Amino acid sequence: MPLDTSTTYPLTKLRLDGRRWNELRLLQAQISTNPASSGSSYLAMGNTTIMCSVHGPAEGRRGDATGGSAGSSGAVVEVDVNVAGFAGVDRKRRAGGSDRQSSRIATTLRAAFQSHLHTYLYPHSTISIHVSVLSADGSLLAAAINACTLALVDAGIPMPGLLCGCTAGMSGSASTPRDPHNDELDPLLDLSLPEEQELPFLTVGTTSSIPVGENAMDTDEEEMKVSMLNMDSKVHCSYVETMLAVGIDGCKQIREIMEGIVKGSKRLR
Amino acid sequence: MSAQRQASSASQTPHISPAELSYLWSSLALPNNPIRPDGRSPTQFRPLSAETDILPGTNGSARVGFADGTQAIVGVKAEVEKTVAAADVSSLSQRAQEQFGENQDGEGKSSATTTGHGSWVQMSIEIPGYRDDDALPVFLSEMMREPLVESVSSGGNADGEMAGGLKGRLVINRRWHWRLYIDVLLLSQPLSYPLPLLSLTTHLALLSTKLPKLKSLGEEDPFFDDDWDAAEYLYPRSQSRLASALQLRPPVTLLVISVGENVIFDPSRDEIAVADTLLAISVARDGGSDALKVLSIRTVDPPSRLTQPGMPNAENPASLESAAVAEQAVNGEEIPGVWRPRRGGVKRNTVAKMVKLVLQKGGVGEEVLEGLEGVEVG
Repeated sequence: MPLDTSTTYPLTKLRLDGRRWNELRLLQAQISTNPASSGSSYLAMGNTTIMCSVHGPAEGRRGDATGGSAGSSGAVVEVDVNVAGFAGVDRKRRAGGSDRQSSRIATTLRAAFQSHLHTYLYPHSTISIHVSVLSADGSLLAAAINACTLALVDAGIPMPGLLCGCTAGMSGSASTPRDPHNDELDPLLDLSLPEEQELPFLTVGTTSSIPVGENAMDTDEEEMKVSMLNMDSKVHCSYVETMLAVGIDGCKQIREIMEGIVKGSKRLR
Repeated sequence: MSAQRQASSASQTPHISPAELSYLWSSLALPNNPIRPDGRSPTQFRPLSAETDILPGTNGSARVGFADGTQAIVGVKAEVEKTVAAADVSSLSQRAQEQFGENQDGEGKSSATTTGHGSWVQMSIEIPGYRDDDALPVFLSEMMREPLVESVSSGGNADGEMAGGLKGRLVINRRWHWRLYIDVLLLSQPLSYPLPLLSLTTHLALLSTKLPKLKSLGEEDPFFDDDWDAAEYLYPRSQSRLASALQLRPPVTLLVISVGENVIFDPSRDEIAVADTLLAISVARDGGSDALKVLSIRTVDPPSRLTQPGMPNAENPASLESAAVAEQAVNGEEIPGVWRPRRGGVKRNTVAKMVKLVLQKGGVGEEVLEGLEGVEVG
């Protein structure tokens, strides 16, 4: 059965789910979904579904060892990722506590948002983010970044710009140096789970900061900055530039969609 | 140790002063007419919103949100599994039956194919801030799994498929069975004891659960129809409204408290904090009749036992009161308006009153089940 992107893609130039190389999956999102939290969001990228809720900024837990001293200069971001047992195709059994995938996503998210948010405005406090993955179909980290950004916007926590995540990969194993005359591999945007399992990919997170300084009004083009880059698979270094360029372009598209969601949503409270 | 003790009791004791506890208790204990902090009647439930079939990747799923913002999502997944131990046991009993005689043999066969095993249903609960082996999630999941597995329709006219209850429904043939994973996610911090929320969500998720249609026959290795539209509901249902009331449904666990002589349903966190007794009552429709039956009753340790007692003015060195009151307090008698942590067990007639209120025709149990049936499933 032809379920292999690397074998069918060169022939059809269509991916497993019928997308072209530069197409995103359908992105739907909603904010203020949970009135019990400071901010919350629901985000679906294709079949990847994530709910995220933010509590705080609030006083950290007293029993916490780091609660007293660590946050003295700014808020501490805590991230808790929970991949539901029913998220995958097969029900996954976890051996107590959390598994490696979710703790890795949590660490990356914490690092990304700790430096992204204007935490200096809230000393001695904690911003806790809770991410629940309801259905996992690839690009988990990217979808989690987008869901967290929306929830943090809903919570009203100041940040320089929206932090958007997207994945990009190559349509083959890309383990040999790239041949500029005979370019047979295409970069792919926004990978789904079957693609993610067989192809090299990276996750990129970009933000656009508000232009400051005397030349601020001169440029119409908003500047995109890569603030997070994560890659778990092997690829020859000559392909990284292409993948990064495609990923950043995907982030730009996601940013527009997310801006629309933030502006279009009616506040319930 | 103290953290563990807190986790196993109804929920963390809210920070309410003894004076407030006493005020709450006495307004809830007003004879025949309790005044609840949110103005509900004793049997009134909090408003909630519910939807089912929200996750396409599961066999069945549901989301329920209470008006206070607590939300839960339940996903049910089913897997085919080989029956190992049970097969040997049934074949052994089969052989034993054969020795007894011909006419008993037929009976042995049917019982071997309809009995399932309780361990085929697995339930796990995720509560933010708790590890999944903490006391609260483990206790809650066992409290909900028990009635679910044990509910067996006793009625004579129940259809053959559900004869052995949920356990019987999971049997495919003598060598294969379904294993059901019920994963409960609480999306927000538990503002009150989350049992009713989780129970209602699980009920709806199980109602919407579908299993693929079996194509193989008898003792063959199972082979399923790959058309999801042809899949059959785990809890079979018929089109007619009348017959649907007579079908086996998953049980619902209700939380009931008693304060003084009053019985109060769906308590909020503050109300639990002053409860004399806290019971979790699981009810389901009896398969054969329209009546409800109790499947299990569990007592939950109410947090009112862990609260700090108030101090009467007489004992307060800062105030000048008559010595008579001080004597009364030493004797351990209640002084109106001074909070004492609740002690002792549940009175028999209190339990009887609670069960009667749940079971009676047009009572709370019926109201809840009817409300849940009103949710569009499928």
